[in-house]
Amino acid sequence: MSDVIRTTGLVKRYGRQNALDGLDLAVGAGDIHGFLGPNGAGKSTTIRILLGLARASGGTAAVFGRDPWRDAVALHRRLAYVPGDVNVWPNLSGGESIDVLARLRGADTRSAAYRTERERLEHVFAFDPRKKGRAYSKGNRQKVALIAAFSVPAELYILDEPTSGLDPLMEVVFRREVTRVKDAGATVLLSSHILSEVEQLCDRVSIIRAGKVVEAGTLADLRHLTRTEVSFDAAGTTADGIAEAHDVSVADGRVRFTVDSDAVASVLPELATRRVTGLRIEPPSLEELFLRHYGDDLTAGSTR
Amino acid sequence: MITLLRQRLRRDLWQFVIWIGGTAVLAAFTVSAVNGSYGTETDRVNLLATAAANPVIMLFRGLPSGADLGAFTGFLILPFLAMMAAFMSSFMAVRHTRADEDAGRTELVAATPAGRVAPLVATIVHGLIANALLAMLVAVAFLACGLPATGSLVAGLGSGALGFFAYGVGLIGAQVFASGRSANAFGVWVMLVAYLVAGLGNALGTPSADLQRIQSAPLAWFSPYGWIENARPWADDNLWPVALCALVAAGLAAASVALQSVRDLGESLLPERRARATAGAALSSSTGLVWALTWPAILGWAIGGFVSGLLATSLSSVLSQAATQLPSVEQLLAALTQGGSLAVGAIVIFFTLVGVLAACCGVQIVGRARQEEAHGTVEALLATPVGRVRWLADYVAIATIGAAATVGGAIVGAAAGLAGQSAPDWSLFGDAVVVGAGQFVAALVFIVVTALVLTVLPRATLAVGWTLVGLATVVGLFGPLYRLPDWIVHLAPIAAAPTVTGSGTDVQGLWWLVAAVLIGGAASLALMRRRELAGDG
Repeated sequence: MSDVIRTTGLVKRYGRQNALDGLDLAVGAGDIHGFLGPNGAGKSTTIRILLGLARASGGTAAVFGRDPWRDAVALHRRLAYVPGDVNVWPNLSGGESIDVLARLRGADTRSAAYRTERERLEHVFAFDPRKKGRAYSKGNRQKVALIAAFSVPAELYILDEPTSGLDPLMEVVFRREVTRVKDAGATVLLSSHILSEVEQLCDRVSIIRAGKVVEAGTLADLRHLTRTEVSFDAAGTTADGIAEAHDVSVADGRVRFTVDSDAVASVLPELATRRVTGLRIEPPSLEELFLRHYGDDLTAGSTR
Repeated sequence: MITLLRQRLRRDLWQFVIWIGGTAVLAAFTVSAVNGSYGTETDRVNLLATAAANPVIMLFRGLPSGADLGAFTGFLILPFLAMMAAFMSSFMAVRHTRADEDAGRTELVAATPAGRVAPLVATIVHGLIANALLAMLVAVAFLACGLPATGSLVAGLGSGALGFFAYGVGLIGAQVFASGRSANAFGVWVMLVAYLVAGLGNALGTPSADLQRIQSAPLAWFSPYGWIENARPWADDNLWPVALCALVAAGLAAASVALQSVRDLGESLLPERRARATAGAALSSSTGLVWALTWPAILGWAIGGFVSGLLATSLSSVLSQAATQLPSVEQLLAALTQGGSLAVGAIVIFFTLVGVLAACCGVQIVGRARQEEAHGTVEALLATPVGRVRWLADYVAIATIGAAATVGGAIVGAAAGLAGQSAPDWSLFGDAVVVGAGQFVAALVFIVVTALVLTVLPRATLAVGWTLVGLATVVGLFGPLYRLPDWIVHLAPIAAAPTVTGSGTDVQGLWWLVAAVLIGGAASLALMRRRELAGDG
């Protein structure tokens, strides 16, 4: 009942094409929820429906328990949005654009609280607000949207690939701000295809593919679904006779195999008796999870 | 270089077809209209005499050079053909220079071995080709209608040369201003002012005794329109003013190359000033935002309105002077005016033009809503507590204010024109207010129709809006000249608006217009409630 966002069987058709094909998404209150998928999987379409910018062709969507299409204005008072491809008004300065968006969300831009917060954000994001919109680079346009979103408190932050165009230093700043709003009790829906970002920030993850959520859960849940990779120097030893080992291979002077994530501890004694060197045990990354769901696309693409 | 040129030609294929084809069709259409409406020499002699006596007509037409079919056609249409070429060219020049640079595409090309200057040179060659094609097709159109070959060629070359001049203006604008929008505005304003200067030069010129030919006042020679009109196709077939125009155009193009080769990519001669860091009080609602985005455009249209209003009343005094000096003019005026004075006629014509300006202003602002939608800025806006209906209503409201400002500017201009006279006839001011108010209502029709298209067929908004204004202008302003049936002329809101005649105020289709505005406005807002955002395309 505490879900901030809930969609069931969400369908969106553009002509004959199904952009969303029965999408079920649930984002709990106070969570940072990762929304993962490649370009064209339907992430932005889902977000546009959640914002009431597009209307679902089928299924239901609820934000704070209300219909995002009908109650768009009321809902927008409680949320902040950062689009993935930010366009700013070419003849307004960056500072003006930030203020306009903040005021429209109901902030008093002359209040000391807002002013200090905006200044702090401009400082940490190293942003110059005195240039005209058309003079900003992609990363700086992104900063306009980020500063506008984070400078006014909201209950829900919808971030659509928010770090595209940001440099790695700014990505660190971004992660700090997301953690800050989470600590203040906000819910965050973070759409991304940058796995490390999601891995570092998110409590729960939904992986979307071709308009459907194909995997959802906490990172620990998802890790459970895949295997841990074990590797060591091939000099003098092999993996022969380790019952739990799958997919054994020898390449580049190293022996590699995978084990089920809950069986890692049981192979350790065996490795110890063989006195292996250069041992590395790598927990499954989100990348592997991702590849598992999209890997066939990649191979299909390469054979074409 | 060849690749760059081919890319430009390919990108502009449809522009070529529409603009050049449209210009040639207009040329051919005029000849057939002249044949139909002014088939006899006497008809043409009479119309020329009227025109020579009436500075208002002179302002909007070419230079009279005689009453034979060719010279008369040149008088009627040459400046408009040239204006078509000018608009095509100046937009085209900016599209391939500053607009591309603004969008970051130039950077992509300049990083290849093509370098910084070659794309500009390709753009210049592109403009030469476009205008050469236009010159050729216009000449062919006239030839095909049976006009003499030399004159047809001179008329075609004149239009093309002026087009290339405007191309040069566009190129310079692209060097001076930092955005495609400003560069386009610069091109349009320069060419409009040039048009007006030539028109004034002709209006203030000296008519020959039989009123068939006018010697331009020196003022006309400050405008490229004045040059090509003084080529007088089918009368003198004078090529050197055309050559002068082409030469100056080439100079402008060369100057743009010189400027381009010394500046950094992305820089402009007029540097961007440091903008303010925080938003002013005006920017505290979505309506304020629309105002901030559009007020420079509104100011421009209001100035246009002011100038038109000023001319409407101040030219009438020039008119009465001409009447007292030339007995033949006086006779003509008496025959023409049948109850209504020529001064009132001038006000009606100019304020119809103001109606066109107000409609343009409105369509531009509603069109801006569509551009914001296609550009994606509206997404961030609608993710705040601003509803879709409110968003559209903001644009319609500001468009209404813009149209009101344009008409208001014209009324102020009319008052200023009267105040400058020794014995002003203030009843003319009343006429100006009545006609102006009527045209305001007509402009509202264009605003709501464009808003309606925005809700139903968003991608067609700009095309439909501007096409309707263009059609209404041609039909409403020039329909009577081409002797189109009244019912067609009155389909154009600007022609159906209330007007004044010799016997008082004629309400005409006012109530129809008001009904259209109310229904269209309500329908567009109601439909917006049900519409999704439609991205670019």
